[in-house]
Amino acid sequence: MRTRTKALVLVPLVAVLAGCATPGPQDALVEARRLAPQGGELTLATDEAARRERESAVARALAEPLDAQGAWRVALLNSPALQALIAQSWAAQATVVQSGRLPNPRLALERLTRGDETEIGRVLSFGLLELLALPWRAGQAERAAEAARLQLAADVLRVGAQVRQQWVRAVAAQQLAQYHEQVRDAAQASAELARRMQAVGNYSRLQRDREQAFYADATAQLARARQAAVAEREALVRLLGLSPQQASSLRLPDRLPDLPGEPRPAQQVADAAKRERVDLRLAQRRLAAADAQRTLARWTSLTDIELGVVRNSETHQPTQRGFELELTLPLFDAGQARRAGASAEAIAALNQVHQVQIEATSTLRERYAAYRTAYDLARHFRDEVVPLRQRIVDEMLLRYNGMLGSVFELLAESRTHIGSVIGAIEAQRDFWLADAALDAAILGVPAEGASLLTQAPAAGGASPAGH
Amino acid sequence: MTTRRLFLGGAALAGAATVARSALAALPEPASRTDTNTAAPLAPAQGRPYRPVVTLNGWSLPFRLRNGWKEFHLVAEPVVRELAPGMNAQLWGYNGSSPGPTIEVVEGDKVRIFVTNRLPEHHAVHWHGQRLPNGMDGVGGLTQPHIPPGKTFVYEFEARRPGTFMYHPHADEMVQMAMGMMGFWVTHPREPRRVPGYVECDRDFVFLLNAFDIEPGSATPKVNTMLDFNLWCFNSRVFPGIDPLVVRRGDRVRIRIGNLTMTNHPIHLHGHEFVVAGTDGGWTNPASRWPEVTVDVAVGQMRAVEFVADEPGDWALHCHKSHHTMNAMGHDVPTMIGVDHREVVQRIQKLVPDYMVMGERGMADMGEMEMPLPDNTLPMMSGQGPFGPVEMGGMFTVLKVREGLARNDYRDPGPYAHPAGTVAREWTDAAPEPQRAPGAASAAPAPLRARKPSGHNAHH
Repeated sequence: MRTRTKALVLVPLVAVLAGCATPGPQDALVEARRLAPQGGELTLATDEAARRERESAVARALAEPLDAQGAWRVALLNSPALQALIAQSWAAQATVVQSGRLPNPRLALERLTRGDETEIGRVLSFGLLELLALPWRAGQAERAAEAARLQLAADVLRVGAQVRQQWVRAVAAQQLAQYHEQVRDAAQASAELARRMQAVGNYSRLQRDREQAFYADATAQLARARQAAVAEREALVRLLGLSPQQASSLRLPDRLPDLPGEPRPAQQVADAAKRERVDLRLAQRRLAAADAQRTLARWTSLTDIELGVVRNSETHQPTQRGFELELTLPLFDAGQARRAGASAEAIAALNQVHQVQIEATSTLRERYAAYRTAYDLARHFRDEVVPLRQRIVDEMLLRYNGMLGSVFELLAESRTHIGSVIGAIEAQRDFWLADAALDAAILGVPAEGASLLTQAPAAGGASPAGH
Repeated sequence: MTTRRLFLGGAALAGAATVARSALAALPEPASRTDTNTAAPLAPAQGRPYRPVVTLNGWSLPFRLRNGWKEFHLVAEPVVRELAPGMNAQLWGYNGSSPGPTIEVVEGDKVRIFVTNRLPEHHAVHWHGQRLPNGMDGVGGLTQPHIPPGKTFVYEFEARRPGTFMYHPHADEMVQMAMGMMGFWVTHPREPRRVPGYVECDRDFVFLLNAFDIEPGSATPKVNTMLDFNLWCFNSRVFPGIDPLVVRRGDRVRIRIGNLTMTNHPIHLHGHEFVVAGTDGGWTNPASRWPEVTVDVAVGQMRAVEFVADEPGDWALHCHKSHHTMNAMGHDVPTMIGVDHREVVQRIQKLVPDYMVMGERGMADMGEMEMPLPDNTLPMMSGQGPFGPVEMGGMFTVLKVREGLARNDYRDPGPYAHPAGTVAREWTDAAPEPQRAPGAASAAPAPLRARKPSGHNAHH
């Protein structure tokens, strides 16, 4: 009877010792959902029904021209790469939860016979030290799981920044190809007119060939621009994980969103960064985990204690009961190496926190400067350069009207004007890239900055003078 | 003239000299005129009488007689001159106008000219062609100190020789002349009958030839242009802004022309022959004259031509260099004649919506169409006559010969009323068979065949 009572006591104890429940896929996503840009539905599709539902949601999203927000939604729903990330993180979280549990108790049974005597030995044993350290181990596992969740959130946000930037590149490249087409049209009109001029004897071969050369250059530039549009679009298709059929129904808006009326103030950006940084939180979690590990190592590195409950039955003999204690003697390994290792890890983690802090503030400063420069450049192109070039075309038309300038000069100015529009689109693209990079920096996620240091190519090609 | 006042205000701010009124108290009040109409001839109120000249789109400077001296007051200053309706030029001139007012004196007059400099730089006036003391010749640095901004100098000399002269700067001369500083001078003979070669005329017109290079859309001449001017003027006016020369049929007419541009001008009169009766060197010997319909006026020269206006009508008077009867034009605009623009037009209009084809058939479109042009820019050619567009600009005007005008009437009588049957007209009957050279089968032009020289075995 006593044994039975003991066994009954053991059941809830086992349940308690089994500790935290195994994480499901949705638990793995908590942090990523909290930080991800609003409007996204982040799930791991685990069965066929979920996959089908996902596909129809993507089809609905692709029915309209896809804006940046829509691209993000489609990526969340659809990207196999993202799904793989979620699943891997789920697996990682399951592993760390595993490490927070007690090793199962061992039951040893023996049955020995001598003549008609039978001896049955039962030993139920478990690690006493591990049991005593259970609260620390559970805390440690929880910290590791949280780090894994944060890591997933960081990965998801990184993909989010990539998607947003790639959407910007794809829309801009498509828009640029249209304007390169206009440059080509202007050059083609010049070349055609020059051809006819030569045909009736008004132009020399040299004069005609110069116009033809602009046309030839413009054609080459158009081919490059068209290829760029294809390449950027396909990069977006890969990020969104679109099937061939989905890819063929993907439509992008005709133009990039307008610049915001005012740039974000520096203070607002700094405040947002203090609240949200994933990289800093991740580093702090790792530091906490390393510290806890160091504390635990002080206990567990020295020895190991195994406690067993023994019950031996022998024929014709009363049952033998007792305990068995097994100790590891720290004769050859007193655990110094393990303690030193844990200390070193903790020091490394502390320094990593400092490094992340330094990088976070510096990157934010750089990204914000890039954001402001990109904003000012885009506005300068929109408010100064393009209207100025338009006025030059208008004045050139007046000069053409007065026979003070030729149609070729007019067309050359028109090419330069379109070139300035191309510059404006590139500046607008760079602004939105810098905007996404700034958002990534606020969240503490790696992303490419916009390269503002290279000058936009003079897409007009020809100098209008010299006819 | 609001514009002029504004302009002068700006110029004063920019450092142009201003002259205190009290400093001018002893000087004759300077007359000023910004009107571009031809002023009525100014009969002398004092002094020896003479038959005054008519300055085309200009005026004669009033004088005062004091202690036996004829006193004039020239003020060198920035001016705004309308070259033709639709274009104002920012020039330098005298007494509100460019060119400055005509100075008329009589042979033997003692002439005192005050010159006040309201330009931003120094100045000196040369009395071109005159016999005078060397120190009065007006060559800055050589014969006199320059007139600094804000100062007044006085020139005194006797008008010794009757004839046709001009005055112009001889200090920073190229710039000041490119800016429009110059004026006419006439010394009337004291006893006309005693001057060999001189006869009194019923109408005596004077004007200077001058040229500017003003970028279309701007207003100030480019002072460093050497030869490639784009506005060719009679007295700083261009067609259709030049007044007609109105004469009574049977009048003896004299036209005196001085050239202060950088090139020669063959001035051509329709419908009459004339003789060169005088130059800035004096009156020519009548026995040396021969009839002409065109007189070439070289740079720095004056020519006085005379004729009897006996053919009624509207007779063109113009420089015979055809591009001098054009306003600003693009010298590098290619010839578009004969170039088929079909389809290309639509393509260009997609890029430049207001583009229109011009020059496909020639440039006459330009004279007919009113197209928007750069600000302050005259069409290359324009002007409407009673029969259609005149398609002219620059150095072009009309001698209007009419019956029965009053002696001093210079008002524009309007277009000539041609007697019936005296205007070229369309021939609507069958055209007469043209005479052809023997063997010439067709009048069609031979196709253009150009061949490159092909080296050693070429035999042409």
